[in-house]
Amino acid sequence: MNPPAILAASYLGPEGHGNDLTGLRAWPASLNEALQRGELDGLHWSLVSDSDPSRFARMDLMCRLGLMAAELLDAGFDAMPEARRERIGVCVETFAGSLDTDIRFAQTPRPSIFAYTLPSTVIGEICIRYRLKGPVLCLVSADAAGNNAAVEAAEWLKLGDAGACLCLSCEALDRKTAVAAGLPGHLPPDGWHACALLIGGREGAPRERPFAAGSLVEICRKLCSKPKRAC
Amino acid sequence: MENLIEELKSKIIAGFSLEGVSPSDIQTDEPLFGVGLGLDSIDALELVAILEQDYGIIIQERQVADKAFASVQALAEFVAANRKPCSSESQS
Amino acid sequence: MDVAVNEPAVAIAGCGAITALGIGIEPLQRALPAGTSGLRNRECTVGKTRQAIIAGWVTGETLDQLRASDPGHAGSRAFLFARAALKQAGQNAGNLLDSVPPSKRGLVLSTTKAGIDALEKLVRHLPCSPMAQRHIQPAWLAADLAVACAAGGPVQCVSAACISGLLAIQQGVALIRRNLADVVFVAGVDLISDFVLAGFVSLKSLDPEGCRPFDKARIGLSLGEGAGAILLARCDLLPSPSVRVSGWGTSNDANHLTGPSRDGSGLVLAIFRALARAGVAPDSIDYINAHGTGTPYNDNMEALALRAVFGRRVPPFSSSKGMLGHTLGAAGILETILCLAAMQAQLLPGTPRLRERDPAAPESLLDHSRPASGLRRILKINCGFGGTNGALVLERELP
Repeated sequence: MNPPAILAASYLGPEGHGNDLTGLRAWPASLNEALQRGELDGLHWSLVSDSDPSRFARMDLMCRLGLMAAELLDAGFDAMPEARRERIGVCVETFAGSLDTDIRFAQTPRPSIFAYTLPSTVIGEICIRYRLKGPVLCLVSADAAGNNAAVEAAEWLKLGDAGACLCLSCEALDRKTAVAAGLPGHLPPDGWHACALLIGGREGAPRERPFAAGSLVEICRKLCSKPKRAC
Repeated sequence: MENLIEELKSKIIAGFSLEGVSPSDIQTDEPLFGVGLGLDSIDALELVAILEQDYGIIIQERQVADKAFASVQALAEFVAANRKPCSSESQS
Repeated sequence: MDVAVNEPAVAIAGCGAITALGIGIEPLQRALPAGTSGLRNRECTVGKTRQAIIAGWVTGETLDQLRASDPGHAGSRAFLFARAALKQAGQNAGNLLDSVPPSKRGLVLSTTKAGIDALEKLVRHLPCSPMAQRHIQPAWLAADLAVACAAGGPVQCVSAACISGLLAIQQGVALIRRNLADVVFVAGVDLISDFVLAGFVSLKSLDPEGCRPFDKARIGLSLGEGAGAILLARCDLLPSPSVRVSGWGTSNDANHLTGPSRDGSGLVLAIFRALARAGVAPDSIDYINAHGTGTPYNDNMEALALRAVFGRRVPPFSSSKGMLGHTLGAAGILETILCLAAMQAQLLPGTPRLRERDPAAPESLLDHSRPASGLRRILKINCGFGGTNGALVLERELP
C-alpha cells in the first residue's frame, strides 16, 4: 500500500481556530481573554460552523471541543457514500481525558452527564454526527502532544482495517475547574487544544499532503498556521 | 405555587441546556416529554435526579414519574405535596 | 485486505486475576463448571439514600490480603488490584520473563475510571494519599504499573468504555507484531466507586436483584470490580502450544450514545472484521462469550447481531457477567481469561444467574456449563457506551 496522505487538518487552541485551507482565525475579542486563561465555557458551535448544532448544548467540554475540531476539518463527510464512511475510523489521544466532566459529576451526579465521564464518548459523538463506523481507539497518554494517535491510524490503513482515519488530540480541562478541585497538576502542560487530522489513501486531491508520524498537535498547528491556499 | 412553577421552569431550562428558551416560553400545562418541550428518556432520569437532589423527593416507580412529569403544573403540584422540609430550596 | 504474513503470531503466556471470587485464576476455574455467581449484597450510600447494592464486590478479605502484601500502594486500590493480577500473570508464564529484557517488555492498561475513588475524596475534602491522587490519571497508573513489571518498552493506556479490555489486548498484539516488544503485559482494572455507582443508579440500569443475562425477565445489569492481566508473547518464545489471539475488530454504531443500535449492525461489523483478520469463516467458531450485561436492550441487540452473522447456526454462547458482574475496563480481560480457562478445560461455560431463557434468544444459549471436545476457536465480544463494539478471536494451537 502507498504511504498514507493527510487529507485535512484542523486546530482549535488559545491561538485561534481553523484548518489547513483557512489558516488560523482569531477568536472574538469578547472571548479571547478567557480562552487565553484556559477558561473554556464560552466556546460555542456557532464560532466554527453555520450548520445545525444538533445536541451540542447538551455535550460536555471534551465532546464540544472534539466535535468542533472534526467540523473544522471541513472534510465533506456528509457528501461521502455510506460505504466509504463505514470504513473511516476514529482514533483519539488525550492526557486530560474526561477529567473536567468527572469533576463536575463528582460534585453533582446527573444521569445526563454520566455518559460523558469517559474520554471515548467523543468518538461516539463524532461517529453519530458524521455516520462513521470504522475501527475505534482511545488512548490516554502521559503527555499532551498526541504522539501516538496518527501512528495507530497509519497502521490501520496499512493493514487495510480502515480506508481513512480521523485522528483527534483533545485537551479539554477548564483551568478554573481543575484548580478549584485541587488538581492543577492534572492540567495538560501546554494548555488546552483540540486538533484533528484526517489521513487516508492518496487520491491526488489538491488538499493532500504527505504524512509523516509525529506529534499530532505540532502537525496540525503547523498546517493550520501555514495554510495551502487553493489555486 | 407561582414561585415554584417559575423555579421549576428555570431548572428545566438549565438542566436540559435548552438554548434560547426563557421561562415564559414554557407553557405551564404543555407536555414535557414527547411533544411539547420534547424531552427524552435520559431527560426523564435527569428530572428524577433533580427532584432528589434539590427537593429530597425519591421516585422509585415509573407510574409515579409519568404522572408527575405530565406538565410543569403537574410537576409543581407533585413537588409541593412531596418535598422534604430539609431540602435546600426555599419554600414557596 | 492486506495480511502481513511475516509478522509474528501472538499467544497468551500467562494470566492473573483479582475478582469477586478472590485472588487468582483458580477460583475462576472452579466457578466455570459450577456456574457460581460472585455477586453479593453490600450496603451503600448512593446520593442521599442507603441501599443494598448487589454487585461483584472484591471482598474485604481480599483487600486486606492485597494491602498486606503491597503496603506501599495501599492507598490506591486500582494499583493494588492491577499490580497483583500482573504479578500472577508473570509468575504463571513460567521462566518466560527470565529471557526477556525490560526494553522488550511492553505494557497496555485498560481502564474506564482508574483511581476515581480519589477524586470522590478530594471533592468531599476527605484525606487522600498522593499515590491515590496520582492514579486519577490513568496514564500515570499505567506508568507506575510498567515500573512494577520492569516493562521498559512501549506503555499505552486504553480508555474506551466497556470495550477497553479487548482494545488493550489488540494493542498488545499490535506492539508485538510491529516488533516493538517481545512480550506485553495487558492489564484491565476498574473499581465499583461511588462515582460509577451513582451514575448507573441514576440511569436506572441496575437490576436490584442481580443481573440475569439473556433471561426472559431481565431488567438490568450488575457492576463488578477487580483486575485481570494477560501476558502476551510472541508464539516462538513459548515452549509449548498455547492460545493465540488470531483476530480482532472494532466498530462504532454511529447511532446513540448510551443505547446500542437497534439492529446490532455495528456489532456485526466488528465481528466480521475480527473473523476476517483471523482468516476464518463464521462456522469455524466453537463458542461465543457475549457481552451479555442483562439489560433488556443490550442482550436483545446481541441476539440480533449473532443471528445476522451466524444465520441459523449460532454457535453455543453464554454470558459470564452473572459470575463477576460487569467489570467495565477489566471486563474484556477477565472475560478473555474465562475463555482461556474454558479452552483449557474443554468446557462450554454456562450463563450464571440465568433462570428462564429469553425465547427471543438463539437456541444455542448455554444455561449450564457442559463439556466440549474439540473446543478450538472462541469469539469474545464486548459493547460499550458511545456505540463502540469490539470482537476478539482466540484460537488454540494444536500440538
